[in-house]
Amino acid sequence: MVKENVIQVEDRESAVIFHIQGDVTRISEPPLKAAYDRLDHKKVKGLLLQFQEKAYFNSEGLKGIIIVLSEARKHQQKAAVTGLSKHFKKIFQMVGIGKLAGVYDTQEEALKSLKDRSKTEG
Amino acid sequence: MVESNKDGSDMAVTQEGRSIELVLPSEVGYERVAMEGAGAFARMLGFPSERIEDLKTAVAEACLNALQHGNRNRPGAKVRVTLTFKEKAISVRVMDEGEGIVEIPDLPETEEAMIRLQPPRGLGMFLIRRLTDAVDFNEPTEKGHVVKMVIRREGCTSLN
Repeated sequence: MVKENVIQVEDRESAVIFHIQGDVTRISEPPLKAAYDRLDHKKVKGLLLQFQEKAYFNSEGLKGIIIVLSEARKHQQKAAVTGLSKHFKKIFQMVGIGKLAGVYDTQEEALKSLKDRSKTEG
Repeated sequence: MVESNKDGSDMAVTQEGRSIELVLPSEVGYERVAMEGAGAFARMLGFPSERIEDLKTAVAEACLNALQHGNRNRPGAKVRVTLTFKEKAISVRVMDEGEGIVEIPDLPETEEAMIRLQPPRGLGMFLIRRLTDAVDFNEPTEKGHVVKMVIRREGCTSLN
């Protein structure tokens, strides 16, 4: 009934992009955390979580996102999120994910922000 | 049933007092059935899309709590969801066969999670509280425990 997420990792100049396919629920945390743990944290300056706009998130899935974004903050990596519906943009801000990552409408905006923040914040 | 006008108000008048009931097995994933059913009910009543999304998330989270924490995923235990439309609002009852919620956190422990890298607790109940116009988490019944929520058609949720 519940499909596992497919996470494709793309390396860009300003950030690593996780293209996350599917709904984000309890089963999403292990693949998300595994993909994050495989990164070379000495090299990665930014992390962009790119979701599918029709994706559904529940509280169990949000927990996994908070954990991974908290890890990114611990590693002093800038983080951003994109691909959310209007409703889930509101939810992300409500639960405090906005404190860990910028929430953007497009991948371009998110990458530009990560690049700019890397320049200004060092 | 009559044809709905653009904002669904004609339909809403004819549907005053209508209820739907869903009975779910205690298995993760079935909260999505209740969520989609609630969404379809609200859409039929002409609720605006923002309120439909609020309702869907609140219903899904209440069902998830009921089947995981209330019924503890016990095979055979059921979650009963009733939605009633009355006075421009949908009242939702989510009943499980458990003993109720011991601790209701005011805020999700997101900050704590960020510092200690531990999963935050209380996110589901926090979302329900923020997305609904009224909620009662702990109504005991003879057969279990009920969470009651109200979503008004014209209500709104803000980030503050």
